[in-house]
Formats: sequence, structure tokens, C-alpha cells
Amino acid sequence: MIKAKSKPIKEIFNYIEPYQDVLIVGCGGCVSVCLAGGQKEVNILQTELELLRGKRKPADQFRGYTVERQCNEQYLGALDDMVETADCILSMACGAGVQFLAKKYPDKPVFPAVNTVAIGVDLDIGLYEEQCRACGECVLAYTAGICPVTRCAKGLFNGPCGGTNGEKCEVNPDLNCAWHEIYTRLAAQNRLDNILEIRPPMQWQNQIKRTIVQKGYEQRYYQEEI
Amino acid sequence: MLKQIEINTDPIQAILKQNRKEIKFGLSMCAHCSLCAESCFLFISNGNDPEYMPSYKFINSIGKLYKKKGRVSKQVLEEMRDLVFEKCVLCTRCYCPFGIDIPSLITLGRDVCRTQGLFREYDR
Repeated sequence: MIKAKSKPIKEIFNYIEPYQDVLIVGCGGCVSVCLAGGQKEVNILQTELELLRGKRKPADQFRGYTVERQCNEQYLGALDDMVETADCILSMACGAGVQFLAKKYPDKPVFPAVNTVAIGVDLDIGLYEEQCRACGECVLAYTAGICPVTRCAKGLFNGPCGGTNGEKCEVNPDLNCAWHEIYTRLAAQNRLDNILEIRPPMQWQNQIKRTIVQKGYEQRYYQEEI
Repeated sequence: MLKQIEINTDPIQAILKQNRKEIKFGLSMCAHCSLCAESCFLFISNGNDPEYMPSYKFINSIGKLYKKKGRVSKQVLEEMRDLVFEKCVLCTRCYCPFGIDIPSLITLGRDVCRTQGLFREYDR
């Protein structure tokens, strides 16, 4: 799932300083799971902002509301009335949710309250680790399920580089060399031939804007060329 | 006797009032045909447990609230929270041949729970 981290409160405070009526919108999706932008975090941020601004501008208003998913139009309907009276929106969703809100309400400033960091896994409560950068050309099949784009500091498709230091990476001695791990796992599976072949560089197709149409839905979204 | 925890019925009734038409339509049109169940991956992956049927989920959340005019106990709402948050991921893939917008109705159930501070806690 997408993992995000709260922005520093002062940064958020600077965004909203010129506005009186601030609508804080949480998201019940990924950011709830990683404890960055769900209803609980909306309540906390609302209290923090009230405390920060309380004495200076007592008339200011902060309202919090959490939708089930900010990346789906279907769940945004309940916001219409609230947005109408708000001066600005503070979105606690990932970058996709923030942009979706900004597009839906183009006459209102929309600010992000979290930094969207990664697609990752849950190691523990509040502890997450990036595993995927959604590059669009998955190579895990021949790298023993270890992503060189994400895990290698240089994102190499053909590794390791000359900077590998035993099991460690030259960029950071605390970091395991991803290509060492790939080699070890492939060797254990007797699949080293997977990395003997030089892989061509990524083509970086469909980058702006990346659009995903699932198999079987092509005709629905693409007009057939005559 | 344990003291019953109070709930604030005003926001619940506001949600019911605002969405009365959709809720009424859903409750009256559901023929319990169970076709929605076949389209729910959670129903299938949980051994066809009827509590995962999309129709069961909306009838026993927003449907129940509608019938009781929003006057339910905190305990009932907590059970509802478990139903609409734990047994549905709102993937919006459930299919109803009568055109009931089941995800929207389950979302209303979640909205009600959220007004009472009841939602899924990921740090429990």
C-alpha cells in the first residue's frame, strides 16, 4: 500500500496561515493504514492547529472530515457543502488524493498535510518499508523477488556495481547491497542464469500521464482506429 | 447495571434524512437474490460466510439504522463498525441486478460510525 508521513506542523501551519476557515480532509484508505491521514490523525491535526493558532486568531475555524477514499469521486460527494464554506482544504491523503480534490474544487486552495513516501509493506505498527517504486516494468521475475529499482541505491538493472563492498553498499555501509542479495537468492534457487544476460535499460514508456487500462477493458476506453 | 454510553443521534439522523431516498430504495428493492455475494471477493475468500454478503452488510448497517430511526445503542454501533469496516474494503465491485448502489449504502454506514468516533483503528 501507499505509505505517507505527516508533514511538520509548522509547514502545514504556514500553508493555512492566511485562511480562516480550514477544512481538514482525511482519507480512509492507505494513509489510514499507515497512521498518517485517517480520522484519528485528522482529529489530532485539528487539535494541534487549534492550539497553535487559538490565541492569535480565535475566530478561526478548523473542521475535520474523513472520506472513505480521496482517490475515488464516488466518496467525495459529502464534501461539497463543507467545501463551499471553507477558505481552503488541507488534504491528509496521498498525492493522488490531494490532486483529485484540487481538480474537483478548482476555486479552493488545496494543501497537502502529508508527504507521500512509498509503496511499502508493514513491518510493525507505525513502521513501514518501501518495496516498490511503481516503475511500470517489473523485473522481479529475474531478480529473485528483490527489486533493484527500489533496493539498489543506484537503481541498477545489471548489477552489482564496482562499489559493492562485500554484502554492503558503498553509498551507506548500513545498507545491504541489493545485488548481493539477488545473487545469493538466485544461487540458492539455482537460477543464476537469470542475471547473466544483460538487461536493456527501461524504456520509461507511458510516463506522463501513466494510465492503466486492465485487460478486457480496452474497447471501453480506447476508440478503435479506422 | 452498566451505564449505557450515550451516542449523539443528531448527526446520525441528519445522514439518514439526507439519504432517505437511496436507503429506502435499497431496502425495498433488495430481493435477497444473493447475486451481489458472487461479486464480492471477500465473501468468496471467507468460505461464503453470509456476513460478507454485500446485501447483508448494508441491510445490517444503514438499513438497521434507518428502521430504528437512528436510535441505537453504542454497542449496536460498535458491531456495525466491525461489519462495515472489517468485512468490506469498499472495492465497489459488488453488483446488484436491481441497481442498488451497495457501496454507497455501506459508505453511509461508515459515515454514521465516524460521527460517533467509531472507525477502524490500525494501531490497536
